[in-house]
Amino acid sequence: MKKNPLNNRFIRDLRDDLGKYVVIALLMIFTIGFVSGFLVADGSMVKAYNESFTKYNIEDGNFRTQKKMNKAQWKSVEELGLHLYELFYREFALENGSTLRVFQNRDRVNLVCLMEGEFPAKPGEIAVDRMYADNNGLKVGDTIRTAAAGVEEGAAGADTAADEQQNKGQNAWVITGLVALSDYSTMFSDNNDTMFDALKFGVAVCSPEEFEQYPDKSLIYNYAWKYDDPPKTEEEENDRGEDLVKDLSKEVKLENYIPRYANQAIRFTGEDMGSDRAMMELLLYIMMVIIAFVFGVTIGNTISQEAPVIGTLRAMGYTKGELIRHYMAMPLLVTLISAVIGNILGYTFLKDVCANMYYNSYSLPTYITIWNAEAFVKTTIFPIVIMAVVTYSILRWKLGLTPLQFLRRQLRRRQMKRAFPLSVRIPFFDRFRIRVIAQNIPNYLILLVGIFFANILLIFGLALPKALDHYQEEVERSLLAEHQYIMQIPLDALDEDHKLQSALKMMQFVSETETENETAEKFSAYTLRRPFDAPYKSEDVMIYGAAADSRYVKGIPETPEGENPRVLISSAYSEKYDIFAGDTIELQEKYGADRYTFNVAGVYDYGASICVFMEQKTMNQCFDLGKDYFSGYFSQTPITDIDGKYIGSEIDLDSLTKVTRQLYISMGSMMYLVDFFAVAIFMVLIYILSKIIIEKNAQSISMAKILGYTGSEIGKLYIRSTTVVYLLCFVATIPAVTVLIKYLMKIMIRLEMTGWIELYVGNIVYEEMLALGIGAYAVIAVLEYRKIGRVPMDEALKNAE
Amino acid sequence: MFLEIKQIKKAFGQGESRVEVLRGIDLSLERGEFCVLLGPSGSGKSTLLNIIGGIDSADSGEIVIGGEPMSHMRERQLTMYRRKHLGYVFQMYNLIPNLTVRENIEVGSYLSDKPLDVDELLRLLGLWEHRGKVPSQLSGGQQQRTAIGRAVVKNPDILLCDEPTGALDYKTSKEILKLIEQVNKTYGNTIIMVTHNDAIKYMADTVVRIRDGAIRDTVRNKQRMSAEELEW
Repeated sequence: MKKNPLNNRFIRDLRDDLGKYVVIALLMIFTIGFVSGFLVADGSMVKAYNESFTKYNIEDGNFRTQKKMNKAQWKSVEELGLHLYELFYREFALENGSTLRVFQNRDRVNLVCLMEGEFPAKPGEIAVDRMYADNNGLKVGDTIRTAAAGVEEGAAGADTAADEQQNKGQNAWVITGLVALSDYSTMFSDNNDTMFDALKFGVAVCSPEEFEQYPDKSLIYNYAWKYDDPPKTEEEENDRGEDLVKDLSKEVKLENYIPRYANQAIRFTGEDMGSDRAMMELLLYIMMVIIAFVFGVTIGNTISQEAPVIGTLRAMGYTKGELIRHYMAMPLLVTLISAVIGNILGYTFLKDVCANMYYNSYSLPTYITIWNAEAFVKTTIFPIVIMAVVTYSILRWKLGLTPLQFLRRQLRRRQMKRAFPLSVRIPFFDRFRIRVIAQNIPNYLILLVGIFFANILLIFGLALPKALDHYQEEVERSLLAEHQYIMQIPLDALDEDHKLQSALKMMQFVSETETENETAEKFSAYTLRRPFDAPYKSEDVMIYGAAADSRYVKGIPETPEGENPRVLISSAYSEKYDIFAGDTIELQEKYGADRYTFNVAGVYDYGASICVFMEQKTMNQCFDLGKDYFSGYFSQTPITDIDGKYIGSEIDLDSLTKVTRQLYISMGSMMYLVDFFAVAIFMVLIYILSKIIIEKNAQSISMAKILGYTGSEIGKLYIRSTTVVYLLCFVATIPAVTVLIKYLMKIMIRLEMTGWIELYVGNIVYEEMLALGIGAYAVIAVLEYRKIGRVPMDEALKNAE
Repeated sequence: MFLEIKQIKKAFGQGESRVEVLRGIDLSLERGEFCVLLGPSGSGKSTLLNIIGGIDSADSGEIVIGGEPMSHMRERQLTMYRRKHLGYVFQMYNLIPNLTVRENIEVGSYLSDKPLDVDELLRLLGLWEHRGKVPSQLSGGQQQRTAIGRAVVKNPDILLCDEPTGALDYKTSKEILKLIEQVNKTYGNTIIMVTHNDAIKYMADTVVRIRDGAIRDTVRNKQRMSAEELEW
């Protein structure tokens, strides 16, 4: 087969236009490399994660009881077709301000992956979660201590230090190893939390000897189960989970019940990795389409320049297909080379960068890099296909003219009959610039599309950290009260089988949980769930019942007799689900089928969580809680006169804003990367398009030089038109981009997260966007000015037809 | 007859602005014949050449080459017709700027099943010394010689030349004409050359004078003058 002599051009084209190909290739290499690295890391880690269910024998679910189950209960529960395992733990508040949940090392269920060091063998030793250790600057050999005042740092040796501290009533452990607990790949301390907390919550395992030292009353009685006959489908798993809770609650008093499919600590990682992959693939395809269009524009320019040659070749008998293939070859070659280099980088350096991003967020076991055919196809074949389709379409369109039209340079399908009129009152330079803009409208349209996409990335990268800060401020500003205590009602006070006894217990609880604190105000709380609303995530909704004249929740509506309860919903609820005054909402029991309908009377300014406020009296009645029932106190000052055993938890700023801390940790590096991509797109687009405009006008520029125009004057004509269009495109796309990104964020949060964070875009974000956009432009403009300076004067004399 | 042109008509525009460029051209040429289409600018000679070359279409009439009528040919078939039968030389050389002289000629040879030997042709064209140069390193005459080389290397049945000396000085023009004459004699291609230079008619077998889209006269030279002898 004969070699097409036109192929000899490729290397020379590459050499002659190196700048163009290098910037495009770099952008592609980085995009493909990063996505390839991500997919490889993601694929390998997803595989390790999926295999961990079998490898580490992960539970089918767990539940918590207030008291340790007796043998009879154990037996009857196991008769439900389960195998039970004790998964007791104790939580410690550490001196570094975090909470550590310590388990006895497991050997039957939810096994532990040792990632560094050794498992603890004796009292005073501990193996902590690897990610928790990373995020808190802990390493093997360090000593960690529970929070207690007046204890000095250990002196002689680690073991001595630990012993010494324990003698003083403070726990201290030497870290012997870093581990990943298979049932805590995501650090959710509570399954209802909006977001996990990898900084202030950690898990650890200790030796049986260490665990035996903990007093019974300090333990949390948690049990894991595995089905004797595991469900075969997800649907079956859900059905069995729903049935089991009813059966279990007949046998034991449940404090908590989490089947595996609903366990965020186990499931979140897998779901998040899947959605991250979808986002990365989308980023790749968007980038590839932009790059393909950039190539399309450069091809269009080449075709304009080479029109007579193309006409001649067509007249000689070259087919349109041969020429299309010829002009497609370089973009495809550059894409192929970029894909190969990108994949090499992806499999080596960038894979680790991406894996570390996961290791920053999730406590995953060690993984082995596996060849990922899907990643290869998506980062090599797909980019080539995208490039081929886009360039083919453009070329088919561009080369659709007749040979004669090419020979005569009649490249516009609709010839401009005459120049559009411009008033002579417009200064000459401005008129000139308007004509340059008119000449390059297709190029500028590509610029507009490119800027639009780049701005989406930029606004996301810049706005998210600010949105997290804003969320923190909003939560602080709209706190219901400085202190919010949730009382822990003794379970026997709610025992319906022993009504008299439970009434007495309730009375005791009520009397002992009275406070003298004048700022305190009782409220009721009840958790319902938004019914599953595919494809959105189901989530818990806290119902607050406050006094009609509450100091903390103002404007609570009264409910007329016989109507659905009238409620206020938090602004977070309203914004997330677009629910407003006048709407009705339907919520259901968390572990049951009962549904409740509420009439929304208004939106309450509270951005911290998805919750509903109603009159306490109505609420107690609605949920059959009893007239005097209350769940806790709002208070401006700390309540000090209630026994700690009755205080289940305190909701404070710290607990409400763990989502921001976690997003900072898990997305921090990603946000910089997104900014980088955005700026890179700006620079490549501007570089290529300005270059095209200068090349297209090389003869005119040369002629202007001959006429005596200075380089700077010519720059004002040709570069400034691009500057004007760039700035217009940049500014014009911002409102659309803001609306779009907020919408996308809302959908993403509905799909992926419980709770709500508004993607607040403050002025500072726009200022930073402009600074980055203009900075990127300025760099390229300087290069282009220099390029204009290098256009030779004899250019005007060449090819004068 | 090798090439038969029958009643070719062509008009541009519509209504009042309609201009009849060709008003029924009839012409027949034998294989190997050298034909000059002579006429002033706007007479329709280039349009006729482009219709023969299959890069423009006639409103009516027929062209038959080697017994094969062109009127029913679709785009693809027309491309194949050009590929198989035609060589083109334009006033502008339209060489590919980043290919060498040799490679530019190979661009033509690639299209043919029976191309001429490129080295031999380079010598014939006087380009052997320049074969490694790119077009920007060549003079106008050398560039046009390269363009001729590109057109003839595929050994076309018909070589169409549209004002091949239009952009060249007297001396270089004569060199090019000599070359075309030599190609005609060496390879026996039918040559149709469009020119407005009256002096060139003497080197042709057939001179067709066109004015206002019609053939004014067709003269068959009994004896061709060599390009060397031409003066203008």
